[in-house]
Amino acid sequence: MKKSTTAWQRLITAARQAPDISGDDAAPYGFSTHVASLAMAAVERPSLQSALNHFSWRALTLSLMLMVVSIAANYSTVPSVVEVEQEVASDPVAEYLTLS
Amino acid sequence: MSDDVDTAFDLVACLERVRVNDQAAARQLVEHLHPLVIRIVRAHLPRRVAEEDLAQEVFMKVFTRLGQFQGAVPFPHWVSRIAVTTCIDHLRAQKRRPEFRWADLSENEADVLDAVLTSENDVSAGDALAARELVDKLLNQLKPDDQLVVRMLDLEQKTLIEISELTGWSTTLIKVRAFRARRKLQKLFEQLKRKERS
Repeated sequence: MKKSTTAWQRLITAARQAPDISGDDAAPYGFSTHVASLAMAAVERPSLQSALNHFSWRALTLSLMLMVVSIAANYSTVPSVVEVEQEVASDPVAEYLTLS
Repeated sequence: MSDDVDTAFDLVACLERVRVNDQAAARQLVEHLHPLVIRIVRAHLPRRVAEEDLAQEVFMKVFTRLGQFQGAVPFPHWVSRIAVTTCIDHLRAQKRRPEFRWADLSENEADVLDAVLTSENDVSAGDALAARELVDKLLNQLKPDDQLVVRMLDLEQKTLIEISELTGWSTTLIKVRAFRARRKLQKLFEQLKRKERS
């Protein structure tokens, strides 16, 4: 194992000494203009999918908030309604009167 | 790009202008970031992908995700991470390279490989380019994620923290991938040595 590791280390050490022949790092002529125009066009015209994505998350958040608010606002009435229903259920006359 | 240009470039102001769809500012930003992006792309360029195409994809992601940039990390780091993850996606998408064979190597590459397999001496500086090409061919035999880790650790000599920042992987995961990759390379060396003898 040591021998092979050493072989890799010798190889990688030599590879690190290789001169950079990849050329100029500056953007080629016209590249930045092309990319900038593409990017601006993409930003100005968001896709249908991204718009749906965006609005569906907002709608979900809003509906959850409304649900929590409505439960909180109406919570006090819920136990009383349950009590009345229980009373009605145990009294056949009251049930008849409620239905009529 | 010279240091003078780098220091003169007002990144914050440029980003503000890009956010209000100023195309001239976007062009300046591309020119400013191109050296950074192209170096990452060249270091991790998948086969059969043009470096300019990949660089363009990176820049498009930068612009479309610009609203997500919160400033928690320096902007060049954020861009570097996008560049690295884009390269990883492309590397994952490409098909595995066929088996590595002596016959596929150039004369210089075969000499270098012979030298590292049979001798304890260092490879001569004159063979550095061949060694670099050989390293690229050997790394192409690894899984994309492993390849990226070994390239950054051994070739670019980045620290675990730096790699973690660029890839989003934990240092433990990076160590595991490096271990797995080196073990695979070791097996590859052993196979090549056996084939050379036969």
